[in-house]
Amino acid sequence: MRKSLYAMLLLFALVLPLLAACGGGTAAQPTAAVAPPTAAVEAPTAMVEAPTAMVEAPTAAPEATAAPEATAMPEATAATSGTGTIKIGMVTDIAKLGDKGFNDSAWEGVQQAAKALGVEPKVIETTDPNDYQKNLDQFISEGYNVIVTVGFNLQEATVAAAKANPDIKFIGVDQAQTDVIPNLAGLIFNEDQAGYLAGVLAASVSKSGKIGAILGTDAVPAVWRFGEGYRAGAISIKPDISVQTVYHNDVGFDKTFSDPEWGKTTALSMIDQGVDVVFGAGGRTGNGALLAAADRKDKGVYAIGVDTDQYLTVPEAKAVLITSAVKIIPDGVAKLIQTVADGTFKGGNNFGTVGLAPFHDLDSQVPADLKTKLTDIQKQLLDGTLKTNVPAAKPGS
Amino acid sequence: MRHFPFGVSGVVMNAQGLLRPVRAALLPLLSILTALIVGGVIIWLAGPKLNGDWLGVKFVLDGYAGLFQGAFGSQKAIISTLVRATPYIFAGLAVALAFRCGLFNIGAEGQLALGALFAGGVGFSLHGLPPLIHLPLTLLAGMLGGFLWGMIPGILKARTGAHEVITTIMLNYIAAQLTGYLLNGPWKDPNPNNVTAQTPKIAEAAHLPLLLPGLHWGVILAFLAAIAVWFFLWKTTWGFEIRTVGANAAAARCAGINVSRNIVLAMGLSGMLAGLAGAVQVAGVNYRTILGFNAGYGFDSIAIALLGRNTPLGVVLSALLFGGLRNGATLMQFRTQISSDIISVIQALILIFIAAEQIIRWIYRVRVPSGLSEQVTLSKGWGKS
Repeated sequence: MRKSLYAMLLLFALVLPLLAACGGGTAAQPTAAVAPPTAAVEAPTAMVEAPTAMVEAPTAAPEATAAPEATAMPEATAATSGTGTIKIGMVTDIAKLGDKGFNDSAWEGVQQAAKALGVEPKVIETTDPNDYQKNLDQFISEGYNVIVTVGFNLQEATVAAAKANPDIKFIGVDQAQTDVIPNLAGLIFNEDQAGYLAGVLAASVSKSGKIGAILGTDAVPAVWRFGEGYRAGAISIKPDISVQTVYHNDVGFDKTFSDPEWGKTTALSMIDQGVDVVFGAGGRTGNGALLAAADRKDKGVYAIGVDTDQYLTVPEAKAVLITSAVKIIPDGVAKLIQTVADGTFKGGNNFGTVGLAPFHDLDSQVPADLKTKLTDIQKQLLDGTLKTNVPAAKPGS
Repeated sequence: MRHFPFGVSGVVMNAQGLLRPVRAALLPLLSILTALIVGGVIIWLAGPKLNGDWLGVKFVLDGYAGLFQGAFGSQKAIISTLVRATPYIFAGLAVALAFRCGLFNIGAEGQLALGALFAGGVGFSLHGLPPLIHLPLTLLAGMLGGFLWGMIPGILKARTGAHEVITTIMLNYIAAQLTGYLLNGPWKDPNPNNVTAQTPKIAEAAHLPLLLPGLHWGVILAFLAAIAVWFFLWKTTWGFEIRTVGANAAAARCAGINVSRNIVLAMGLSGMLAGLAGAVQVAGVNYRTILGFNAGYGFDSIAIALLGRNTPLGVVLSALLFGGLRNGATLMQFRTQISSDIISVIQALILIFIAAEQIIRWIYRVRVPSGLSEQVTLSKGWGKS
């Protein structure tokens, strides 16, 4: 009796693939039908592309390597003429879309580029870090030829996939390349330059002569560069300024960027010691520092955000957020994808642009001559005439 | 999973259990089907309503087709599902075994972490051993780590009466922090390019060999473990004692069974299975211990044990279902581009309907309450039992 019932359970398990097979038959067309709606939401013009989606969506047939084997050059012309042989996929890290950070920014860039090329990109959100490889394989097996992976956690999987699939172009956001692989471009940023600009601004607007920064772990070179760039920028304005940088090194890697309580408490104690500009750089930990500054608004404290324009992502801090030290990820991603279409794609490290976000509500508090100075410094940093002299990573780490 | 009026013999128990499996097997099936229907409504709400797609129904079917094909639709998909299900089977068995002793082991997460830590430590720190020694040593280390971590709440419960739910939750935190400390500190991969909290790679000799491309031997070990747990619980005296303690600790004590010893043993064995889940991930999938890589598996295993009615076969089936759902999420999202969180919603729905099923049974079958309190024993878990 018991056996027969387990047999039923087993039967159910066996029926699943059958259901799937039935579904598969009907699925081929619906997929195409499904593709346009996103387009419809984003941009009415993309509606035109529906037939294109129709061609690329059904999964079974193109799995054979026929189409995707073609290399960059012919695709480029094809894509610009609108037949859509460039297929762009993106794999997020486990923060997924909606992180208001790397993943969202990269996806914005992918969508920009895809729109310019007249194709429909697809995204797979990683929910389990054991799936990086699998999610990449999904795009590879479906004949995608431009695959964007977001975050340094995906570096190992991306490098392996790039080596195994030399005909596919990979773009690794925030992945510094140690060896040049011709079909893998790492999009990285000179965080020290962004931090430097933030430091110049902070030192210029500080009245107390004490500024601070709340950061994630300095074991991540990008975080270290933000912090030390900030210090260098501040000292370049006022050599005697007090710059307190606190890295959240006392916790695990899973926590160091997601500890807003610690960020807030630490920032509050800094502010209570007279610090009047707080730079928060470290995911949600850094966001805690921005909230702390918002709490002490009446003391005339300023906050500086990081990575993206945090005026938009941390609205609670709008009133005190003077700017954000931003990595312009969308443009960087979009440009790299465009190079695939143009046939000028190059492997190795690509530096994206860094800068400061708009001053928004506090625009009136930034004197015109300071704005000019910031623009000049940014120009000098980008063209290399001004160096931050911050090493690439914390010495000895 | 309503339990047996114990005290006579196992044979009588089996005879009385004739009708039980009907409910035991059909109700989870109904739960799953109901969940898929309600999940379909949610997918429908999340999806676009198109011209030519009759009220968006195609979209829902398309989503499910992707889910099922991604989980079971090809050899590659099935292999991937099996790999995903492997830690679920071990950890699900762990929770089920503790349940059989009347213990609610929330600590599979921490025991799994300790298993991964021990296995990783043995895997990367020893070199030059032949695979025949290194691999078993790695897995045994994982089992030992889990066993010790599971035994702590067992001893605390047996000696002091501290509730295992509280102590295992706290030990989860300790395990997480310990892992974070080791992987960010002394055990961190010293490769200068490494920024991730992870150990160095384990030696080749510690790798679980592949059965098929992409499928390591761990899945066979998991099936063997399920058989072993079944044999242990239902065919050995120790297993009988554990189940007796779980059914009625007071009666067990009267019958001369050492309740304390059984609690410690059951928690230790439970931890050992969870530790093996971690060790198999290290030796078969990641080839190193990485911070956060197996987060959540221990908690999922509680649901898996419950869905599987705390029987080994049930755990294997529900682990395959969970593994399939997780695995199919990728293709489902690829096809439909809806958020992968939907899959988590569907999983949660399955559990809600299982819970609802118990409520329904409780409403319609007045005599069940005594059985209910036997099966989970949450309410009687305080104090020395």
